[in-house]
Amino acid sequence: MEIKRIIVSHDNITNHLDDVSTSISKGKVTTIIGPNGCGKSTLLSVLSRSTMPTSGTASLENRDLVMFKPKEFAKKLAIVYQQNEVPKDLTIEKLIGFGRLPHKTLLQRNQEEDCKAIDWALTVTNLTDKRHKDLEALSGGERQRVWIAMALAQQSEILCLDEPTTYLDIYYQIELLELVKSLNEDYGLTIVMVLHDINQAIRYSDEIIMMKNGRIIAEGRPRDIITKDVIKEVYGVNAVFKEDDELGLYMMSLGI
Amino acid sequence: MRKRIASYVIVSLLLVVTIVYSATTGSIKMGFFEFFSALFEQGNSQMEAIRDLRFPRMIVAIFAGAALSVSGVLLQSVMRNPLADAGIIGISSGAAFVQLFIISLFPTLFFMTPLFAFMGGAFACFLVFALSWKSGLSPLKLILVGIAINAMFTGVTEAFISFGGSLNVSASSVIGSNLTMRTWSDVSTIATYGTIGLILAFALYSWCNLLVLQDKTAKSIGFHVARARLIIAAVAVLLAAISVVVAGVISFVGLLVPHIARRLVGYDHKVLIPFTALLGALIILLADTLGRTIVAPLEIPASTLMAIIGGPFLIFLLRKE
Repeated sequence: MEIKRIIVSHDNITNHLDDVSTSISKGKVTTIIGPNGCGKSTLLSVLSRSTMPTSGTASLENRDLVMFKPKEFAKKLAIVYQQNEVPKDLTIEKLIGFGRLPHKTLLQRNQEEDCKAIDWALTVTNLTDKRHKDLEALSGGERQRVWIAMALAQQSEILCLDEPTTYLDIYYQIELLELVKSLNEDYGLTIVMVLHDINQAIRYSDEIIMMKNGRIIAEGRPRDIITKDVIKEVYGVNAVFKEDDELGLYMMSLGI
Repeated sequence: MRKRIASYVIVSLLLVVTIVYSATTGSIKMGFFEFFSALFEQGNSQMEAIRDLRFPRMIVAIFAGAALSVSGVLLQSVMRNPLADAGIIGISSGAAFVQLFIISLFPTLFFMTPLFAFMGGAFACFLVFALSWKSGLSPLKLILVGIAINAMFTGVTEAFISFGGSLNVSASSVIGSNLTMRTWSDVSTIATYGTIGLILAFALYSWCNLLVLQDKTAKSIGFHVARARLIIAAVAVLLAAISVVVAGVISFVGLLVPHIARRLVGYDHKVLIPFTALLGALIILLADTLGRTIVAPLEIPASTLMAIIGGPFLIFLLRKE
């Protein structure tokens, strides 16, 4: 996936994305980080085509994103948003079944394929024994996994996640990130996500895009780009980095 | 599952009982058995009267109830708002006004009344959407805008009637609803368009189900949200408009019936839409039958009864929101 010279402005006064160009590598986990309002979610929404850029182009497999039909695009890329309203009286299985929409046409539906995809999504997200339960009956962490399962049922090559861990406690955060890791390693999905926690980003990403004020400040492998100076520049925080045998590289903030 | 089946069976039975009761009660009374034997023979003068006067009225009530209730379900789905109802948010009064206005000016076009009513309803629906949309639909704002639109259309209709008192229009049937003196030609209008509308509504059930997702999520799975909204809203307006043409404005049915229906059969539109049609038919037929029997020979219009029950019900729903 490539984006070139993207400018996004919601109000025509300030640029929420200011001349951003980057590419997302296939088969890798790419994490976008940066302070609040830096444009990381906007970047993700440009990649997932939910925001149309004011200027610049975004392309997938050398085709401009606007050229894709909605269902065709949904087969290529799935996205899970940060906050989702919980529909009433809807079983998990049915909700995940919505993810099969891009594979259906008015006259044609392959039920066997659909069942297979739904079963797979349920297994991967460890929700098989809850499939007949209502969404309302689940915990926050489980609900987040259901939305991911719905995206997985699309069987797309790229999965985008907008702050998937934000409203979860630490146990579910780790569970979710391990799920993301296994989706990438075991099933070859390209992952693009937005995270807040820098240490989690270091640990679970192949590549990091670091943003501030609508621009990309640094991008590359975590170890190459996340340094004391960059953290100071982007977040305005004094940080120290330590190397630990079990943890690898990790960051502690000292103060501002 | 069992609750669903039980609800379907009970409501169907009640509808049949109400139909028989309604057909045999009123200024002409008939025994149950007498009615059934007369049903299949010619020449019974009482039966002829019932056939000409009471049957059309009952069929109109049944279709109007079904159409308005299903219209409510569709609007609630499109607007993601449990309080939407064609009568409350001005779609019915928009349909009533435009129909009255054009037919008064061009009486020869009376055969196109359903089309004009549809245009009026669609215009009102568009206004409600356009004026309450602000990066999403806020449920309360939509209702407030809808009530204002409704007041406006009701107002201009009343003004138009008082200006044009000399015009040859039976205007009173437009603002209120009165089901007396319906004819078989009314029946054929509402049965034709009503059936088309109800079938279309059912065909759209999977779209209605998908609209429970937030717009951004629905879009991300490749769903044409805007197109689906437009088509579902058009069917809802068709159903509301055709009821207005034949039965006048009846508010609150589209609010009350779907709400009860969801309690009984759940939120899946595949089950909900047909059930709502049945329950709506039952409620309006019952309201009309009670309205013409409890204070006979005077009549309370079905719309009045619905307003008396529906008003407090809307307050109850608003408090719960």
